[in-house]
Amino acid sequence: MSGTQLPANLSTEMVREISERREEPEWLLEARLDALEALDDLELPDVIKTPGRRWTNLEALDFGSLVDPLNQADETERTSDEGVEVLTFAEAIEAHPDLVESSFGSTIDPTENYLTALSAALFTTGTVVYVPEGVDAEDVTVRAEMNSRSLFSHTLVIAEKSSSVTILESIESGGSTDAESRYFSNLVEIDAGENAYVQYGSLQNLAEDTYHYALKRADVGTYGTVNWIEGNLGSRLTRSDVESELEGDSAETKIVGAFFGHADQHFDVNARVWHHGENTTADLVTRGVLDDEARSVYEGVQDVGRDAWNTSSYQRENTLMLSDESEADASPKLIIHNHDTEASHSATVGQVDQEDLFYMISRSIGRTQARNMLVEGFFVPVLDEIAVDEFREDLRELIAARLR
Amino acid sequence: MSSNEELQNTNTEERFDFKKEEKSAFQTEKGLTEETVRVISEDKGEPEWMLKRRLRALEQFQEMPMPTDWPGQPDLSEVDVAEIVPYIRPDVDVRAGVDDWTELPDEIKDTFDKLGIPEAEKNALSGVGAQYESEVVYQNMQERWEEKGVIFCNMDEAVREHEEIVKEHFMTKCVPPSDNKFAALHGAVWSGGSFVYVPEDVTVEMPVQAYFRMNSEGMGQFEHTLIVAEDGAEVHYIEGCSAPKYSAFNLHCGGVEVFVGEDAHVQYSTVQNWSKNTYNLNTKRALCEADGRMEWISGSMGSKATMLYPSTVLKGPRASDNHITIAFAGEGQNIDTGAKVYHNAPETKSTIESKSISKDGGRTNYRGLVHIADGAENSSTSVECDALMFDNESTSDTMPYMEINESKVDVAHEATVGKIGDEDVFYLQSRGLDDDDAKQMIVSGFIEPITEELPIEYAVELNRLVELEMEGSLG
Repeated sequence: MSGTQLPANLSTEMVREISERREEPEWLLEARLDALEALDDLELPDVIKTPGRRWTNLEALDFGSLVDPLNQADETERTSDEGVEVLTFAEAIEAHPDLVESSFGSTIDPTENYLTALSAALFTTGTVVYVPEGVDAEDVTVRAEMNSRSLFSHTLVIAEKSSSVTILESIESGGSTDAESRYFSNLVEIDAGENAYVQYGSLQNLAEDTYHYALKRADVGTYGTVNWIEGNLGSRLTRSDVESELEGDSAETKIVGAFFGHADQHFDVNARVWHHGENTTADLVTRGVLDDEARSVYEGVQDVGRDAWNTSSYQRENTLMLSDESEADASPKLIIHNHDTEASHSATVGQVDQEDLFYMISRSIGRTQARNMLVEGFFVPVLDEIAVDEFREDLRELIAARLR
Repeated sequence: MSSNEELQNTNTEERFDFKKEEKSAFQTEKGLTEETVRVISEDKGEPEWMLKRRLRALEQFQEMPMPTDWPGQPDLSEVDVAEIVPYIRPDVDVRAGVDDWTELPDEIKDTFDKLGIPEAEKNALSGVGAQYESEVVYQNMQERWEEKGVIFCNMDEAVREHEEIVKEHFMTKCVPPSDNKFAALHGAVWSGGSFVYVPEDVTVEMPVQAYFRMNSEGMGQFEHTLIVAEDGAEVHYIEGCSAPKYSAFNLHCGGVEVFVGEDAHVQYSTVQNWSKNTYNLNTKRALCEADGRMEWISGSMGSKATMLYPSTVLKGPRASDNHITIAFAGEGQNIDTGAKVYHNAPETKSTIESKSISKDGGRTNYRGLVHIADGAENSSTSVECDALMFDNESTSDTMPYMEINESKVDVAHEATVGKIGDEDVFYLQSRGLDDDDAKQMIVSGFIEPITEELPIEYAVELNRLVELEMEGSLG
């Protein structure tokens, strides 16, 4: 691929070694090798282009110096409810070989783009959440710490018919490495069966020398619901894609995003939904705040297929700019192929409301405190979507900590 | 050899010889060459600087790739410029082709009939001869304008008669040929169009209408429109092809440049209904100085595929821009249109109101860009897109892009898509309207924001065109 630096020492031997160390079955080794081989022909994920500029410069990523495939290290703590299995990827292969084989790559094609292929070829960590039919699990947590220059993670969530599960995932950086910058890649595939309910929350607070790529995608079956919450605070550059394919009739999804950028952070956050079945509903809500020289890129896509009768699809994106040096770019897109649709999207960019600020100052609240209160208030509609108290508190605290 | 030297070396005699040679070769040879461009310029008796600009544009055209990677863009693979361009220099034969009412395609004749346009006007609209009523009006108005120093004439004429103004403004800072491949093509082979110059503090009370002129030129496919409104001037220009244009070619590639001086006000209205074999790839832009006001009112009805995004650069403080657009795509049509606004100064304002209707497999897309530069404090923009769809064969997309580099701004975008409300149809039916009339009435209401901005005769024609589209009786 043009312009992208392959890790110099990346080889089939290396991929074989990763797979052997983990005593993986043949099919997974083959999948890794296929992904590795495909790298040459794959492009980086599409970024938005407008006349004269690309909104995110993924080409600048130097994988040669970022990626160190054989020295990946993480410390991940997994807790689960009764009845639901929360396993490391390796454990899951042991316990449910067929299930993992059939689920791996079923929602995200490993050769979808250069970054997914790199991830599939090199991943060493990840979690499999298996929720058998009819099981309700309310509290699954996966708290990960990245302890190496690069880390590749692959997560599968299999929610069978009429099951429900709430999963909270968080990622942060452990002790510093000798490298100048780091790379974290996170692929999440959710297969939600008929009448299944999955809430998947992510909180990313990586050290600010880290480049971060995440692609999270769900296939939602008939009457199924997948709700995503995506909180981004850390990293130097984040490219995050959260997507739902509403395959079954009456399937629903909500994609709730929050980001808060400061210094020279760059967030390229994307929320996308495809309506395939009939009577499907989607609600996309993203709120972001930018300070200093931070920059946000947002793309929201609502794609209504030709046979998606009686679709309801809504999208809102609001960005608050605290600094003149920040930049907020947005492109909310509606792609509508069926007229029996109620769809809308809206996006706004602005600063803290001066009247609100004036009102609070006139009530003798200091200017900084008033501004901080308004910023915290701005995130409330997103925080309200988070069902689990602990996760909501974590996000609220991180936001509060960022406000000076 | 630099292109400058090349031009200087071409003395008049050589060029005349050259031209004779080329003329015969020209009719058979396909493809756009330097010689083609020289012949066009020669025939028009253009000054050297214009030829230079054409040749530079040609170079840029040849360097630039076709737009292929825009998300969801119309398919342009059929647009083979090498096939089309030689015909832009109409030979006598080609002119004769459109010279006779009876040779017009039936669909165009039917349209005129259904629009209720009298025979004489039909002839004019089809590009034949003079539309004498309009000519009279034009002459009368021309006298009134001339007293005030207003200039309104054919673009080719403007190059000769008003060389200094044209030289300063023509494809320099507003629409440079480097803007896009089709602007470059336009720069190389442009012909015809209108020139409007309104001196300082002069208000032209009547809308300036140009459809009869553009058609009589017979080369309207590459027409150039240049409007210069000096400080405090005011003018409403209507680009009139309020009926389908018969075209022997299937590419329309015009260029529109509008200069809005300080505190000036320009409204540019278009009601277009191209024949359905036409690729409509236009470039329209306005530069707006402090306190200037630009308004784009566009109805895009015809064409096979349209890619057109009228744009405004708000250069001075408090400059403002309004866009009102409506697109209607029926069977086999792909109308990709929108608006582009650059807020480059403080306290600038823009509003974009976009309406689209898609039916019978037609495809509409709103593609818009709002850019707010660092330092454009207290600017505001509001974008509103509404799409109305009739069936699940049709497609309606909304793809706005917002680049915001300034925090003290107010940016809002809103879009909705929906089908014609069953309840509304039912209500109207219960009042005795049949299904078609009910839908027709709802659509008329839907497009009202456009029609109320237009002079009554254009509004009436737009409504009738929509009616015809609704009946599926066009093309």
